[in-house]
Amino acid sequence: MTKVESSYTPNILLLSTIDCAYPGADWAGQMHMDHYVQAFNLRVPSPAMFPEEFYFYCFEQGFDGILIMSCGAECPYPGAYDRLAKRVDHLYKMMKERNLETDRLRLTAICTVCAQAYVKEIEDMAGNLKTLPPIKKALGDIPQGVN
Amino acid sequence: MTKEKKRVGVYICHCGGNISDVVDVEAVRAYIEKLDGVAVARKNMFMCSSDGQKMIEQDLKDGLIDSVVVASCTPKLHQGTFRGALSRAGQNIYLLEQSNIREQVSWTHTHDHAAATNKAKQLVAAAAAKAEMLEPLEPIKVKTVPCGIVIGGGIAGLRAVRDLSKWGMNVVLVEKSPFLGGRTAQLDHVFPTKEKARDLLDKLIKEVIADPKVTIYLNSQVIDGGGSLGDFFVKIEQTFRGCTEKYDLKELEDAIKDLPKDIKNEFDYGLSYRKSIWMPYEGCWPSIPAVDWENFQPEDADKVNGSGFEFQPNKEIIEVRGGSIILATGFDPYQPAQGEYGYGTIPEVITLPQLVRLMADDGPSNGRLEINEHPVRSVAFIHCVGSRQVEGINNPQPDGKVNNYCSRACCTATLQAANELKERYPDLHVFDLYQDIRTYGHGHEEYYQQASKNQILFLRYDPLNPATVRPSNGRETAVSITVKDLLTQGEEMELGVDLVVLSVGMMPRNIEQIIDIFKLPQGADRFLQEVHPKLRPVELAVEGIMLAGTCQGPMDITEATAAASAAAAKSMNILSQEYVYLNPYIARVDEDLCTGTGLCIEECSEVNAIRLENGKAVINKTICNGCGMCVAVCPNDAINIQGWTIPQYKNMVSKMLIPAQELA
Repeated sequence: MTKVESSYTPNILLLSTIDCAYPGADWAGQMHMDHYVQAFNLRVPSPAMFPEEFYFYCFEQGFDGILIMSCGAECPYPGAYDRLAKRVDHLYKMMKERNLETDRLRLTAICTVCAQAYVKEIEDMAGNLKTLPPIKKALGDIPQGVN
Repeated sequence: MTKEKKRVGVYICHCGGNISDVVDVEAVRAYIEKLDGVAVARKNMFMCSSDGQKMIEQDLKDGLIDSVVVASCTPKLHQGTFRGALSRAGQNIYLLEQSNIREQVSWTHTHDHAAATNKAKQLVAAAAAKAEMLEPLEPIKVKTVPCGIVIGGGIAGLRAVRDLSKWGMNVVLVEKSPFLGGRTAQLDHVFPTKEKARDLLDKLIKEVIADPKVTIYLNSQVIDGGGSLGDFFVKIEQTFRGCTEKYDLKELEDAIKDLPKDIKNEFDYGLSYRKSIWMPYEGCWPSIPAVDWENFQPEDADKVNGSGFEFQPNKEIIEVRGGSIILATGFDPYQPAQGEYGYGTIPEVITLPQLVRLMADDGPSNGRLEINEHPVRSVAFIHCVGSRQVEGINNPQPDGKVNNYCSRACCTATLQAANELKERYPDLHVFDLYQDIRTYGHGHEEYYQQASKNQILFLRYDPLNPATVRPSNGRETAVSITVKDLLTQGEEMELGVDLVVLSVGMMPRNIEQIIDIFKLPQGADRFLQEVHPKLRPVELAVEGIMLAGTCQGPMDITEATAAASAAAAKSMNILSQEYVYLNPYIARVDEDLCTGTGLCIEECSEVNAIRLENGKAVINKTICNGCGMCVAVCPNDAINIQGWTIPQYKNMVSKMLIPAQELA
């Protein structure tokens, strides 16, 4: 699929952990750090709970990109981050099989005071997504018969 | 299984103008009101006010709604407030969802009101989508262990222990060193009362050790821990102190006279030397010597003549349990880098804590102001060493960051020391090189005024162009300082002094292991971070763990003990209840869907909260931590986290993106 510069406003879903990234997002707010608007937080205990199918559901609903804002090494749940990282690897393979650009999904770690990193991740993904077609179009491009 | 959807009440907060100055609250309300499942949509100037809460209560009591969405600030602030409203109306408190349209909308999209309003509509719509699928939940009931655990035996830890025990609570105190007292024991007089620091300590220690409800573990390191609010465990490794009998310093000196005195004495910040068996000062608690196992050589055993010594560094593992934990792990003074203002290269450059030890009666020079056995006729203090650092000017710490915070207590401590020197030695010339004087506390400004009366000479330096310190090389004084003084329009001044005192800041003590065990949040300054500086100032995000004193940030003794008392009071809230209630956000199995694949059990191998019974997965409710790893691997969608289910998330996602024409 060729990359195209486009002027649409991509929608980004943020899976933000209650213990780390969500307070980090709050901190960005407390610091009044203006940033890209169309990024929506879902507060989650751990993104390790989401099966692969959930991500594709979100794409189908119109999210052009998904940022998994985890606790990284600071994850309070033993084993959760490692499993999440493996799932994301698996997701990348599945996305490639479905002709979806892997730039649409990113796993990152945001701490409770990582306001700058939080904003940067959103801005970077928004920038990357603008070089890709909107998700609805990308999904429409999927050839029949590919699982 | 189809579940009945809830009728949702949505309440949107103006937050004064914090939200409504950016978000068109009425437009959000009008939009939300039209959504399926939303029974009422209202707005209020302050939803957290009693008027706002009553609005929710009334709609619930009138039977208009079943579940509630409050669109306001972050849930961390007022979740308890709004749950209270549901509870008073007789509704299950978990039928509440919050939409954060302040921190994550109005405060971050200030310059685009239309976009912010649309985003608020989308987030509130998603919250309503979740709320219509919420179910009543019951919190998990945990029997409280009626004992407080305090980690750290400095003045803050002792204050917390004493408060808890005075209220009748059992307390376990865990202290890493062989003696109680912490940094306060190294001080001489404390501001603003001018009391002897050790008098304060002795009073507290006497009360603590006399109370049978207090158990003290000295020489003890925290090596493991876990549990939750109401029932924590802490595993400690206690090292035998090597002696069981009381000694005074003279008796100890006789007993160990043949031991080499070649270990830098940390109690005097390296200004004196001690032996491998030691007590920090006369009257310390306990007055039982301790062996410094790190520096104790096997042949040293033959050089000791006293009784009660046993030279086996035995370690014992002890597990203690408590309903709450108070952390009072303290601070370390900033250690200047080699060569920073001449520290470590010019012997006449010392730190303020070192000066305090020098001036103490039992200090390395018995209270005489001398350096390298020479009397001192002139002193220069330099403020803000290791505090308020500037990137590119100051060298970063190992983590790559400079200490850009103010250490708060050092301005007054510096002026106190300067005044005391001047009052003891009226002929002494005292210079004070500062960025800003921040004598902020009650009774602190008087030290600044007194310094003027004492004719201490102030010079103000620019942090971007700090003073330089170098040896005088043959001149009358030992050290030369060059500084551009902003008080005289940047005129360059050259000072010759006998002694330079660096007013060093505070650094958090290295407690990586404790941070790792309990997953504690740290701020950008590396100190432990409270939930909220005003609303929950001594609580950590890990429920049941409290902060006391300088592990949270720089503070003086007055503030540290106030924080300790607050932490003790917060702990008592937990410990005085027979049961505490934990969030019910744990895994739940739908038995109709579960086919007993066992994949969830494999996924939960670290926590072991799932077992198979009669071919169905069963959750151990007190062990499950609600991580949800099991959810992702169930091929039958038979397992979910209560309150955070995949169908709820899907409903949110499906309602979040609203076509532009609908938003208009």
